[in-house]
Amino acid sequence: MNRIESMLLELKDTSEFMIDLAYSSLLYNNTEIAEEVEFLEMRMDELSAKIQDAIIDIGKEQPEEIAKFTVILRMQMAIEDIANAAASIADIVLRGLGDHPVIQMSIQESDVTIEKVEVAENSILNNNTLGNLRLGSHCGMYVIAIKRGDHFIFGPAKDEVIKAGDILIAKGPEDAADFFIDIADGTEKEL
Amino acid sequence: MSDDDHVDLDRIDMTVQEILTEMKDISEVIVDLAYAALMYNSKEMGAKVNDLEDEMEELKYAMRVKALMAARTREDAKHLSGILQIASAADRISHAAGELVDLLEISPEKRPFITNLINESDEKIRMIRISSKSDMAGNTIGKLGVEANTGMKIIALKNRYGWTYDPDDDVKLRVGDDMIVRGTEDGGHRLSEFASGKLPWEFDETEESSDE
Repeated sequence: MNRIESMLLELKDTSEFMIDLAYSSLLYNNTEIAEEVEFLEMRMDELSAKIQDAIIDIGKEQPEEIAKFTVILRMQMAIEDIANAAASIADIVLRGLGDHPVIQMSIQESDVTIEKVEVAENSILNNNTLGNLRLGSHCGMYVIAIKRGDHFIFGPAKDEVIKAGDILIAKGPEDAADFFIDIADGTEKEL
Repeated sequence: MSDDDHVDLDRIDMTVQEILTEMKDISEVIVDLAYAALMYNSKEMGAKVNDLEDEMEELKYAMRVKALMAARTREDAKHLSGILQIASAADRISHAAGELVDLLEISPEKRPFITNLINESDEKIRMIRISSKSDMAGNTIGKLGVEANTGMKIIALKNRYGWTYDPDDDVKLRVGDDMIVRGTEDGGHRLSEFASGKLPWEFDETEESSDE
């Protein structure tokens, strides 16, 4: 992968994560999550500008390659649109317009649900890492944020150790939610 | 095409919450489908993205009409403006997905990096076939709880009837069916072991079947 492709990859992954975070911020009407979306949106703008600059440079140096990079440019713009849409969802929360039961209910009723659970002392999640647990591939729920004390860890890394008292925000199919809650409160012991 | 006079009346009968749920669902599946269309160079999948894009447009208009009818007070108007903003964001996502599948018009050799890009993403897309040795065969997607057990979402399914996009839970998986799935590397590996019969599916005896 060349530098432009790596930047495009980061742009794509971030845009998808932003949508998850944006809908989470709406569900919980949570300004901290919404602010993270806004922060990522600024990073996306910077990255997009870098990609465009790099493509302009290539256009000067290797004009015969430009057709390929036009495709990258179109992709970058589509991905940026997705990120902007995510930011505009988070913006509803930041403007104080997100506090309506219809909004919360419509998210809860959707195919992709978001769950917030507190990790119990006797949960198998306690003192375990996300990489080791492989929650996503074994119960369908992906942890998108951890609230520890009064701060958030967004998009936690695989080696992040989960502690009792952590609040996990995860997304997944609705038939996975109950099991995930049981795992977190210690009722279920096996993934 | 975007003619305000042609708002689908069926959608007007939906509640605001139903419309919003539908829009959120489409906003998520349409992006997956768009990337899958590029990955497999599928015009048919691209056409499905365009259909969903049109549906989203209809839902957006229905939402506007409903919101205007529902606003009685300043407080109503404030909340409804937030809801309209979500609707318009979901609609923008679907148009972005439409822009992605427009890239199908460019020949695949001019966009080789797209497959590479999707392969390197956090969320991967793979095609997995149900082998005759797999005990997944003969069961519905819902009974298996494919996504809940592997983290892999089936975004398209090819069986003897052709392609189904975003298949419902009551669709049965059969030997030889090809699933296009989206999820992590680990989940994809696990699902392919189940689908090839290398691993037995972990049927949950205590699991109550959901009424959906």
